[in-house]
Amino acid sequence: MDIQTRPEGRATVISASGKIDAMTAPSFESSISDLIGEGKLCLVLDLGAVEYISSAGLRVILASAKSLKGKSGKLLLANARGSVQEVLEISGFGTVFSIYDSLEAALEAAG
Amino acid sequence: MPGSDARPEKRVIRWRHRLSVRLGVVFSIFTILIFAATLGYNYYQARCMITTKMEAYARNLVSATVGRVETVVTSVTAVTESMARSLEIFPFNNTHLLDFVEASVLSHPDIFGSAVAVEPSPDGRFQERYAPYFYRTKNGTAFVDLKESYDYTCRDWYQIPRELGKTEWSEPYYDEGGGNILMATCSVPFYEMQNRQKQFAGVVTADISLKRLTDIVSGIKVLKTGYGFLLSRNGTFLAHPRQDIIMNESLFSLAEERGSQELRTIGRRMAAGESGFIPFQTIDGVQSWMYYAPLRHVGWSIGVVFPEAELFSDIRTLTMTMAGIGLAGVILLMTAIVFIAKSVTNPIRALAAASDKIAAGDFEAQLPEARSKDEVGFLTRDFRMMRDSLKEHIRQLTETTAARERMESELKIAHDIQMSILPKTFPPFPTRDEFDLYATITPAREVGGDFYDFFQLNENLLCFVIGDVSGKGVPAALFMAVTKTLIKTYAKEAITPEDILSHVNEELAEDNDACMFVTLFCGILNTKTGDIQYANAGHNPPLVVKKDGTVKWLPRARSLVAGAMPGVVYEGESLRLLPGDSLFLYTDGVTEAMNLEDELFTEKRLEKDMTFSADMGIKDALQRIMDSIHQFADGAPQADDITMMMIRYSG
Repeated sequence: MDIQTRPEGRATVISASGKIDAMTAPSFESSISDLIGEGKLCLVLDLGAVEYISSAGLRVILASAKSLKGKSGKLLLANARGSVQEVLEISGFGTVFSIYDSLEAALEAAG
Repeated sequence: MPGSDARPEKRVIRWRHRLSVRLGVVFSIFTILIFAATLGYNYYQARCMITTKMEAYARNLVSATVGRVETVVTSVTAVTESMARSLEIFPFNNTHLLDFVEASVLSHPDIFGSAVAVEPSPDGRFQERYAPYFYRTKNGTAFVDLKESYDYTCRDWYQIPRELGKTEWSEPYYDEGGGNILMATCSVPFYEMQNRQKQFAGVVTADISLKRLTDIVSGIKVLKTGYGFLLSRNGTFLAHPRQDIIMNESLFSLAEERGSQELRTIGRRMAAGESGFIPFQTIDGVQSWMYYAPLRHVGWSIGVVFPEAELFSDIRTLTMTMAGIGLAGVILLMTAIVFIAKSVTNPIRALAAASDKIAAGDFEAQLPEARSKDEVGFLTRDFRMMRDSLKEHIRQLTETTAARERMESELKIAHDIQMSILPKTFPPFPTRDEFDLYATITPAREVGGDFYDFFQLNENLLCFVIGDVSGKGVPAALFMAVTKTLIKTYAKEAITPEDILSHVNEELAEDNDACMFVTLFCGILNTKTGDIQYANAGHNPPLVVKKDGTVKWLPRARSLVAGAMPGVVYEGESLRLLPGDSLFLYTDGVTEAMNLEDELFTEKRLEKDMTFSADMGIKDALQRIMDSIHQFADGAPQADDITMMMIRYSG
C-alpha cells in the first residue's frame, strides 16, 4: 500500500493505492490520525487506486470519521471502484458516508 | 536447541591437505629445485674446467712422450742417413763394410741392428748382391748375411727406398731370420757416380727394437687406470696395456668388430696425423677421454686415455657430499616449517573443532587458550567474544521465542475457545426432517472474527446467523463472542431479525472506542411454511439455490454494519423457500480468497459452483466449494476465515 497526501483548497486529499488489509491498515490509520493531529479536519480520501479493502480498512475509515466528527471535521470518500465500491456498498458505509464518483465532486462538496 | 538440525558435517582434514604439510612440501620442492640447479651448474662448470685442464695436461704428456720417441727415431734416421752418405763418398770393400756396419751398431745404443744391402758393382768389388747384417746380442753383436736368410729384394725395407729414392720407415714387423724380434726399420738408399750418372748402389738400414719405443709409451701412467697406446700408420696397435692385441688388432679391425663408426673416425684422424681431445670408449667399454697426437717421422700416432669416472671422481664426490648436505638442510628446513606451521594450525584446528561444536549448539565447548600475541591469538580472542555474544544472543532469542510461543499458545487457546462456542454437531436436529442445516468454518492462521450460530426459538422457528468481525486477533475474538451472546439474548426477546440486529447494534456501538464492527446476517425460518424473515447488517448477500439448480442472489442490504454507530434502523425482508430450495450464507473469506497472482475468488465463481449443488447433499456441496477455493488458491496462504452455512428446506 502507498499513501500520498496533498492540500487541495481547504481540503486535504489522501490518495491511497494498492491493498488496504489487516497488514497495511495500521500505517493507513496512523497516516490519517497524523493529519488530524496536524489540524487537517477536511479530508478527502481518494480510493481510485485502491485494489482491495478489507474490514480492517473499513474500521480505519470508520474510526477516522468518528474522530473528525468529534472535532467538527469531515471525511469524504471519492473515486471508489470495483470491489472497493462493492464492499462500501455491502457494508452499508454508503448510508453514513458521503461517497462521490469523482475527486472533483468530492472537493466541490468539501467546499 | 536452535540450529541443531543444521549440524555441520564432521571435518576430517586429510594429512595431505594440512596446511603444515602443504607448506613443507612446497618449500622443500622449491628449495630442492634451486639447490639442484646450483649443484648442477657447479658440477657442469667444474667438469668443463677439469676437462680443459686435463686436455692441457694430456697435450703436454703426449708432447713429452712424442718428443722422447721422436728423439730415438730422429737419431736413428740421422745415423742411417749419414751411413748412406759415407758409403757414397768413400770407396769401400767388403772388409771396410763389415767393420763400418758393426761399428755403427755398437756405437748407437738406439740401433738394434743394421744392414747394408749392396748391388753388384761394375768395378768388381762385389760380384753379386750381398747384405751383411749386424745385430745386438747380450754379449755384443752377431752377424748374418741376409742373402742367406731370405730373398730380401722383395722386402719393403729394400724395395720402397730403392723405388722412391728416399728415406723410408717400415711398418713394424717381426724380423724372422734377422734379429728375430719385433722391430721397425729405417731404410736409406745410396748411390754411386758412374759415367757421371747416379747409379743405385744399395740400401742402408737401421732397426730399432719396438720394445724400446713401447717401453716409453707404456711408461705413461695417468690417474689410476689411464694409459697410453701407440698406433702404426695403418692403425695397428704397437703398444697397449693389453698384450694380446699388440700387432694383432688395429683400430680399424676393432671398429669393424664393434660396428663403431666413431672408432673408425678416430682411427682415420690418427692415421692422418691429426691431434685432438675427445670423449672415447675404450676397447673394454669404459667411458673415457683421449688425447692423441702424431709421430711425424714414422707416421705413427700416440694416444693417452683417461677414464672419465676417475677424471671426474673428485667433483663427483664433492657433488655427492654437497647434495647430502643439501638434503639434510632440506629435511631440517621442512621440519622447521612443519613445526612453525603446526604452531599456527594447531590452535586454528582446535578453534575449528570448537566452532564445529558451537555450530552444533554446544556453547560450552572448550576454546583453546589465546596465548600468542600473533594473528592466531587475536583470532582466538575474537572468536571467544563472538561465541559469548552469540551465546547471549541465542539466550535472548530463546527467551523471546519462549515468550512468543507462550503468546501463540494463549492465542491458540483463545481460538479454541472461540471455535468451541460455535455449534458443531451435524445434523443439529436429527429428529427434524423438514430442513437440514450444515455449517463449516476454516480459520485462517491468525485468530479471525468469523462466526455462525443457529438455535430454535420455538418448535417452528429456527434462528440462524452468520457474521464477520472487523480485524483479527484477540480483540476480534472477544468482539465476536460478545456479539454471539448478544444475538442469542435478544433473539429470545425480539421476534424479528431487524429488531435483533437493532438491539445488538445499540449494545455494540456503545463505548466502542476501537470502532470495531461486525457484519451480520440474521434470519428466522418458519419450518412449517419455508418462509424466512431476515435482516442484513452490511453482510455479503446470501444466495438461494432453487431445486432445479438456478441460483438467485438476495438483494444487497445497504444497511450499515453493526457496532459502527448507534441509532441505525435495520429493515426486515422476507423470502420463501420451496421444498428442495436451499439458502447459502458465507463470509467474505470465500469471495475474497486469493491465489498467488492476488486475484480474488469472486462471487461469479461462487455462483457457478453453486449451480452444481442442487443435486448434492449440503455437506458435500460445502465441501465442493471448499475444494474449489483450494484449487483456485493454488497454495497461496489463506488470509481470512472461510465460513459457510447452508440450509435446505424439505417441506
